[in-house]
Amino acid sequence: MPVLQIEGIMTGAGLSFSADGFRCVYAVITAFMWAATAIFSKEYFAKEKENLSRYIFFTLATFVATEGVMLSGDLMTAFLFFEILSFTSFTWVIHEETKEAVRAGYTYLFIAVIGGLLLFMGLALMQYTAGTLSFDSLREAAKNSPDQSLIFAAGICILFGFGCKAGMFPVHVWLPKAHPVAPSPASALLSGILTKVGIYGILMISCTALFGNEIFGLAVLLPGVVTMLLGAVLALFSVNLKRTLACSSMSQIGFILTGIGMMLLLSSAGNEEGTGIALSGLVLHMVNHSLIKLTLFMAAGVVMMNLNVLTLDEIRGYGRNKPLLMAAFAFGALGISGVPFFNGYLSKTMLHESIVEGIKSLSAYGGLLSIIEWIFLISGGLTFAYMLKLFICIFVQKNRDEERQLIFDRERKCMNKASTAVVFGSSLLMVVLGQPFVSTRLIKEMTGFSGILGFSAFSVENLKGALISLSIGAVLYFTIVRGVLIKNGSYVNLWPEKLDLEELIYRPLITKYIPEAMGKVAQIFGENRILKPLLAQCLRAGIILTRILESLTDGFILLLRKTVMRERKVKSGEESEPGFLYRLSAVLAAGAGQLLYNFTFAMMMTCLGIIIVLCTIIGIMFR
Amino acid sequence: MISPYYLLIPILLPILGGFLLLFLKIPLEADRKRNTFLETVVILTSILVWLALFSVKREAVQVISLSGAFSIGFRLDGLSCLFAGMVSLMWPLVMLYAFEYMEGAGKKNRFFAFYVMTYGVTLGLSFSYNMTTLYTFIEMLTLVTIPLVVHYGNSESMYAGRKYAAFTIGGTGLAFFAVVITTVYGEAGIFNYGGSLHLSRLTPILQLAFLSGFFGFGVKAAIFPLHAWLPTASAAPTPVTALLHAVAVVNSGVFAVTRLIWYTFGSETLYGTLSETAALMTAVFTMVFAAAMALKERHFKRRLAYSTVSNLSYMLFGILLLTPGGMTAGLLHMVFHGIIKMSLFLCAGAFIHVTGNEYIYQVNGVGKRMPLTFILYTLAGFSLAGIPVFCGFVSKWRLVNAGIEEGSRQGLTGVFVLIISAFLCAMYILTVSVRAFFPVKGTDRYGERSDVKDPGKRMLAPIVFFGILNILLGIHPGPVIGYIEKIAAGLL
Repeated sequence: MPVLQIEGIMTGAGLSFSADGFRCVYAVITAFMWAATAIFSKEYFAKEKENLSRYIFFTLATFVATEGVMLSGDLMTAFLFFEILSFTSFTWVIHEETKEAVRAGYTYLFIAVIGGLLLFMGLALMQYTAGTLSFDSLREAAKNSPDQSLIFAAGICILFGFGCKAGMFPVHVWLPKAHPVAPSPASALLSGILTKVGIYGILMISCTALFGNEIFGLAVLLPGVVTMLLGAVLALFSVNLKRTLACSSMSQIGFILTGIGMMLLLSSAGNEEGTGIALSGLVLHMVNHSLIKLTLFMAAGVVMMNLNVLTLDEIRGYGRNKPLLMAAFAFGALGISGVPFFNGYLSKTMLHESIVEGIKSLSAYGGLLSIIEWIFLISGGLTFAYMLKLFICIFVQKNRDEERQLIFDRERKCMNKASTAVVFGSSLLMVVLGQPFVSTRLIKEMTGFSGILGFSAFSVENLKGALISLSIGAVLYFTIVRGVLIKNGSYVNLWPEKLDLEELIYRPLITKYIPEAMGKVAQIFGENRILKPLLAQCLRAGIILTRILESLTDGFILLLRKTVMRERKVKSGEESEPGFLYRLSAVLAAGAGQLLYNFTFAMMMTCLGIIIVLCTIIGIMFR
Repeated sequence: MISPYYLLIPILLPILGGFLLLFLKIPLEADRKRNTFLETVVILTSILVWLALFSVKREAVQVISLSGAFSIGFRLDGLSCLFAGMVSLMWPLVMLYAFEYMEGAGKKNRFFAFYVMTYGVTLGLSFSYNMTTLYTFIEMLTLVTIPLVVHYGNSESMYAGRKYAAFTIGGTGLAFFAVVITTVYGEAGIFNYGGSLHLSRLTPILQLAFLSGFFGFGVKAAIFPLHAWLPTASAAPTPVTALLHAVAVVNSGVFAVTRLIWYTFGSETLYGTLSETAALMTAVFTMVFAAAMALKERHFKRRLAYSTVSNLSYMLFGILLLTPGGMTAGLLHMVFHGIIKMSLFLCAGAFIHVTGNEYIYQVNGVGKRMPLTFILYTLAGFSLAGIPVFCGFVSKWRLVNAGIEEGSRQGLTGVFVLIISAFLCAMYILTVSVRAFFPVKGTDRYGERSDVKDPGKRMLAPIVFFGILNILLGIHPGPVIGYIEKIAAGLL
């Protein structure tokens, strides 16, 4: 494997890059996506003057960073470029500088920061427990590590760290907001590649450090399943073209994560064939989803640059006489819905197959996996339903406003030749990749799993799964979309505004509760509540105490003068009469004077003294 | 090798220079004269310091004997080299910045005199060889910086000055207890790697002495209940907030705590004691507390000051882990945070100087008018939040690794809290950048103002210098890490 190492920089471990099958293919896909969107951008940004150079600069920077992640040879390198692309791609989200864009930008930024820090933590734990971050040696090092629980903790941190970028539940909140507000070429990249960067990281540690870890498998599988279903439901209820596509991305990421979870579970059970199929399914689905979203978002971009709106009511009927746009969108829709002979069918079938394998070989989780199989099929059905909704809305139904429909019909040309070539050309890939002999070769090239070459794509069982999904989708379309979503002929947003994980929990938690709690602590300890009053009270007590001590003597005299030595008030004209103590002392002095100057008294005292002295001496001598 | 008496020259030169400026009475308008004089003094001192770092003998010299074991003296060792080296690199640059920033202000003689004197005091502090000297210089540092904090003379800065004086003088008084105890119990309190007390266990009175020393010196490092002076003191002119209240003064607190822990009590003696746990938990709490307060704060410089409080506790956390890895990480963060926070404050100062606004909501759209300043601000912000390629990442990585390696529950708690705090940090730093570069349409405050542009050369030079250093040390931090590892292993 070609490896490039740059040693001694950063934290000392340096950087390393390598290019084996999977990385090579994905690096090429990344480059292809960038090239395609770049060609499309020329027309899309034709009217834009301000901020265009900023967009171009950051798009190129993101390209470099993405290739850096895709070709990274160790976790630290992946982390470095991952962080760079997190921040450079931020400018895409906030590009329009509208209120929604700025809000979505903040959400994106903070989820990116959280992801980065979780990764940081995970990497530190991994470095400590396994002693290495290189993908090549990580599997052995992790297996030999004495502390498996720390490896698991590191794995969870890394999972959620990369999961933030992938749009995994419960850190998906940025995705449905950020994708719609970005310019369409950027949305295609955000959805097609940047989510895959997150998946790449999760896949990499799943294949190395945590390979065969059963609990970690569940930890990936369950959020994956939730993401899969939640994204699809959100997409079904959305009435905005790009938001539907963004939620669809989320759902498809859920499919991929389910594949990773199945791969881990199957590998823990030692089922190599199943592991291989799960891995094949998920890498193929990654490739498929990248390309499908490229086409679909560029098609949405065509709508956007012509109409400048994206709500379904406004754009209804826009594509009625634009066959190339319709074909491109249809190919993308068929691909993502998993219709046979289009690319999504193969990857979804493989993923489905892996779940079936799981039910066979993991008896402990049989019930859970059966439920997951049904969720999988229902999500597939939902995919078909919301794509049908978009397709019928844009290309079949007529606009409610007839004048507007006339304008739409008159305008036959919706994009220039270069854009047409890119949009339609990329949609043809759905058909190419839908052929099993192409896809299986590609998978073998990427994963090295040669068992996939014999995969029978169109066996009755596999077709049955797809058929169940599609029929569920058709039923859902006609009941929910036609029955509930369209009221009086227009699409209504039925999703309750309040039901938003971000608005309900995340934002208040960070912007309100934590700072408020800390502010309370500060008030209590820091400034006003305790420290200051305490200091003041201490001072006051001290002052009182010193005052008391200082005036103790004065006070005593004052007390005497007020009580026993008080001068009695007398009537005017007479002399003031001395107080009780004065009189007492005067009497005593008069009496004592006589006594004291008496000779007998003196003799008596002398005798007393002599007796005491004698007694003392005797006492001492004859003890 | 030169005799250690040489160390007195770089200490006294700026102090004398400052006094001279006080008496010279250079007229207010004669900027050129004053600036030449000051820059000469500062650069000369820096050169002398670097000469000293390479050529002064590593032995102690007692200059004044106070009484008994108490004496004033100096010695150069690895830690003082690190601190003095860092400070001496920064001072000449920030001096340049200060010249432009203070251009319109009054009482420049007084301001610059004390500003230069602080340099000498800081150097004295870093060269000191025992607790008594350290304590003396720490108190002196407070005294020479008070006139700088109250410089503007308005009610806000007078309040800040009072608060600053009360906290630092009163708080540092706590440390006096520790100074006396360690001087009496240990070998005259002379710093010695591994501790000068040589005790197998700590008696309660010594634990109390440690705590009082930790919180006493910790006032300068803005440890939790005693942190409030730092945000308030940002009423001072930006050169003061940037150099003194983000680097020199606050890092001298960290420096003193390092001396207390590693060079007086000794890490082995302290390990596992109740007092150490208490100190560590306080530091851990301060990290997240100050970060949350910063998020709440609307005033630009006060927000950065809270961020400093939080980051100082990162350093204390690293040092209090009592492992060489932790000490390396703590000291590394001291150096790198110095660079980053300097960048941030200088950019904030440029914004305040150019626009006259001080609040975060007033930065909307200024990034397009002052691109260089705010790009460098953003890069420093990335660094502070611990994003790779920048130097803050390296020190944070080291801190987290040290916390995990230490293995105890305290260490892991600290790491967990550090991650949360880093998240808050990214939020409070980057929201400013987002506001500056991506104002919501219609809220751009500076779209029409052509007078708002990047500041002049003298202000830009240090900003750019620290910005470059930020990236260079992030890509290749090897030499600095190597040097600090040697210090932490007791080899220097």
